[in-house]
Amino acid sequence: MVGMSHIGAIPSADQVEIRAGARLLASAAYPGSGSELATHRRTWPDPRIGGPSGRLSADVLVEQARAIGLAGRGGAGFPFATKLAAAASSARLLRRPVVVVNAAEGEPASAKDFALALTAPHLVLDGAAVAAYALRCTEIHIVMPRERPAVRDAFELAVAQRREAGERLSWQLTETGPGFVAGQARAVIEALSGRPGLPVTAWQPEAMSGLKGRPTLLSNAETWAQVGALAGLGVDGYRQLGTPREPGTTLLSLSASDDRVEVVEVAYGTPWADVLGGDARRPALVGGYHGTWAAAGALSSLAVSRADMRDAGLTLGAGVVVVPAPDECPVAVTAAVTAYLAGESAGRCGPCFNGLPALAAEVGALARCNTGASYSRIAELAGIVTGRGACAHPDGTARLVRSMVTVFDDEVAAHLGGVCRVAESSSRPPSTAGARDD
Amino acid sequence: MDGLGERVLSGPALWYLNRGTGVVLLVLYTLVVVLGIAGVARRPGVRRLPQFAVQGLHRSLAGLATGLLLAHIVTAVVDTYVDIRWWDALVPFGGLYRPLYLAAGALAVDLLIAVILTSLAKRRLSDRAWRLVHLAAYPSWAASLVHTVGIGTDVTTPWLRWILVGCVATVAAATVARLVRGRVVAEQA
Amino acid sequence: MTDSNEVGVLRVDWPACMGRGVCAEVLPEIITLDEWGYPVIAGGGAVSAELRDLAREAVTSCPHAALKLLPPRR
Repeated sequence: MVGMSHIGAIPSADQVEIRAGARLLASAAYPGSGSELATHRRTWPDPRIGGPSGRLSADVLVEQARAIGLAGRGGAGFPFATKLAAAASSARLLRRPVVVVNAAEGEPASAKDFALALTAPHLVLDGAAVAAYALRCTEIHIVMPRERPAVRDAFELAVAQRREAGERLSWQLTETGPGFVAGQARAVIEALSGRPGLPVTAWQPEAMSGLKGRPTLLSNAETWAQVGALAGLGVDGYRQLGTPREPGTTLLSLSASDDRVEVVEVAYGTPWADVLGGDARRPALVGGYHGTWAAAGALSSLAVSRADMRDAGLTLGAGVVVVPAPDECPVAVTAAVTAYLAGESAGRCGPCFNGLPALAAEVGALARCNTGASYSRIAELAGIVTGRGACAHPDGTARLVRSMVTVFDDEVAAHLGGVCRVAESSSRPPSTAGARDD
Repeated sequence: MDGLGERVLSGPALWYLNRGTGVVLLVLYTLVVVLGIAGVARRPGVRRLPQFAVQGLHRSLAGLATGLLLAHIVTAVVDTYVDIRWWDALVPFGGLYRPLYLAAGALAVDLLIAVILTSLAKRRLSDRAWRLVHLAAYPSWAASLVHTVGIGTDVTTPWLRWILVGCVATVAAATVARLVRGRVVAEQA
Repeated sequence: MTDSNEVGVLRVDWPACMGRGVCAEVLPEIITLDEWGYPVIAGGGAVSAELRDLAREAVTSCPHAALKLLPPRR
């Protein structure tokens, strides 16, 4: 697994392996082809002309997005059609919408947006352009992570090519600062407004009032790639992959047994056993650091499907899957992730910057088999931080901890009794996760 | 009746009233300022008077003081012994009677009006804007001290001198305490 | 669940909240403080008609304007 010392470390370019896929990552089979506009246009139509349905108006795009159930790929899975409709109806003659491509990818274990930037930047930008034409606006912001400089290079090149080709949209590139929460929607809008890129309270959804009070259609880079694919293929073409209930594909970031991350494109409905092989029988953290634990064997009976996962009490999130090594105790992993997340608090909301470090300390004590660790205190802290912040950072952290308690109740009980079964069975010393300050 | 009216207007009664209200105002506004400063949270659990009570007292005393201020201004204007026009209470120049110290009083009133208006409209303002204007209470209070020292006839008496010292001391102490506490609170967070 | 007696919803602007606790003094029926002094709002913030005036006072009493009374949910 991404070793525990790597928790929080952003993978470098050579640590990411991008597998060729059936649709979004098709050009990974021919490295460099997706970054070249001319080559890209051989497969995907120019948004100014459009695909099978021609240039899409807002109403038609909403309808098509709804028909395929397009869910945001940033983690929350929010229906894209709803966001688009809200932005369209909030637009006024002198208050034009703004489109934002969020490629910030604050989650360290995720590399799919990075992969898209390197293999299919034009598909991402096509999607954003389609939305801009539909909303009759021209301002599109691309938000990129400073810690993954290759992303910036890729999008700068792509935008330059599009300008040369005569596309008259106003592409503005911005880099975000480091940090887990820097990719949060409101944090991004703050950064675009010239203020510190940290979450603030939103009294209205940003699709209605976001950047400078304008309707802001902010979506994850992969979501935009999916929009580009939808516009280029039409609904029927899009439905060729995936299942009738969940058409299309999705990108996953799989943490392999060393510190590499593998990005794969998977059609909805694909069994996890096909994606992970033997690892599907092992316990896995699904949905990233704000995700939930799947018990050993849970994934082997499930498919990559939002609905399936929801029914099983799991969350697909932004498609991040982390499979700890057999000699790595899931309690220790949770403690390390929680400590990382506590350190990533923006420090703006009292319950978060007080509660998360306290929670991390408790889970850390539990991981070290400290018999003073208290299960009820962990539950209490998880409850206190939930829903009491400007963003979902504390909620996600609490979700992770709660899922550890539910899924690994035996391990937790053993730890409370002073024993780590995983450490014993692999004759390793018990975890020191969370014992250091950082 | 006219004779009585004339005598009142030119006699010492209004003057005493003006001086009396002036001294009471000095003490009252000092109290209001100290209550405003003292509203900072102490550590949870260490609470003497509830904060909303301190807030309420601050507002009530400020309201009372403003009423007295009107009386103070009216008595000064109506008094025919000194040449103070009604606009001298608002305009800090062009005064005829002890113009520098009268101006200090007018300045205090002007700043106070800004504080009062913004506080009445607090819900409609951003927190930062309201807070910025509210800080004008400090120079307003200081200007009122200057006004007292120069325009008052009682300033040579020891009791008024002690009152002045007391006012300055309490505000200074409250300010220092708040700054210290503020740093402690910030460090804890 | 819609309560027809709900006249408003209290929401905290968390980045603005400094944990002063004045709101909890004014409206202890709905607002308590956690171990760090930050408000815990019961019942999802629903304000009944009887508590409406106190809720408004709690909003104005916040020294950092961090408490808001929003219109009731449908």
